[in-house]
Amino acid sequence: MKIMMQIAIIFLLCFVGELIAAILPFPFPASVISMILVFCFLLWGPLKVYHIKKQTDFLLDNMAFFFIPPAVSIIENLHYMEGKLLILIFICTVSIFTTFAITAWTVTAMIKLEEKRKERKHHASA
Amino acid sequence: MQALKEVFYSPYFGVVLSILAYQLGLAINRKINHPIANPLLIAVIIIVAVLQIFHIPMEAFQEGGNIINLFLAPATAALAVPIYKNLQILKNNLLPILVGTVVGSFASMAVVFGLCKLFELDTVLTASLLSKSVTTPIAMGITQQLGGIVPIGIAAVIFTGITGSIIAPFMVKLFHINDPIAQGVGIGTCSHAVGTTRAIAMGELQGAMSGIAMGLAGFFTVFWAFLFAILL
Repeated sequence: MKIMMQIAIIFLLCFVGELIAAILPFPFPASVISMILVFCFLLWGPLKVYHIKKQTDFLLDNMAFFFIPPAVSIIENLHYMEGKLLILIFICTVSIFTTFAITAWTVTAMIKLEEKRKERKHHASA
Repeated sequence: MQALKEVFYSPYFGVVLSILAYQLGLAINRKINHPIANPLLIAVIIIVAVLQIFHIPMEAFQEGGNIINLFLAPATAALAVPIYKNLQILKNNLLPILVGTVVGSFASMAVVFGLCKLFELDTVLTASLLSKSVTTPIAMGITQQLGGIVPIGIAAVIFTGITGSIIAPFMVKLFHINDPIAQGVGIGTCSHAVGTTRAIAMGELQGAMSGIAMGLAGFFTVFWAFLFAILL
């Protein structure tokens, strides 16, 4: 599909996302609603990956680029972190370890649980 | 001289500076090939240096920044495509991935919240750190929603991504994670897209898992944020 239409589709879904976010009675990131919309439309079929491929490839391949302007604003917010930098780094680092360990252990436990269930089913059918 | 200063308020200036700084960041990243040479980090350092050296006001740069910001929501929406493409892998391991990312994204926020309280950080800083494990576009939305400072939130996200991807192989050994699915989901949940590039280097299955986990963890973090919004 023409790149112009691809941009229009994605921008339209972003607009609808903002519309839904404005109607919702609680705060919810509009961009995440747009992500859910794209996913649902792909799942239900009206939207095919090739309809939006050029546009989404461009966005995904250059994802980090779009965060440059908000990230640059960090120099205007440095005073919030004054004297707390080490604490912030400590908190972030500790939570990397705990998040990884808890997630990976949970996944491992779930895989074992499923294997056991399958085994039991296997025994029952035998 | 004054007229020359005004010129920097043209949106073209910020857009071109951003593109050039990012391309330089990509080039350095290819050369050094280490997570610390993160293209976004390099681009930000270059732009901040240029603005400081030439005394260009932040507002002038952000005239161009606003144009780039227009693509933030579309970039987030585009994240749905890789998840959809990997749907079969997700379906084959539905329960472990879902439970892992639901529990993992809660654990990430709970630990950050607990430590922030322990160190008596104020609500604004706490809100800025809570979503640091998820991908930047989603973290931005959550940080805004919780009343945090978006640039600090992004800095925490970048730091977590870089650190997570550097120590990922070490953590795999430390916690004895042998299953490639568990490795991938763990890396994607704790260090989003930057970690995912490392997971891809560790193996195809780990990479796919990390990519799926990163999207789902972001999705679930949005919902956990409701809980932490009450606690803040």
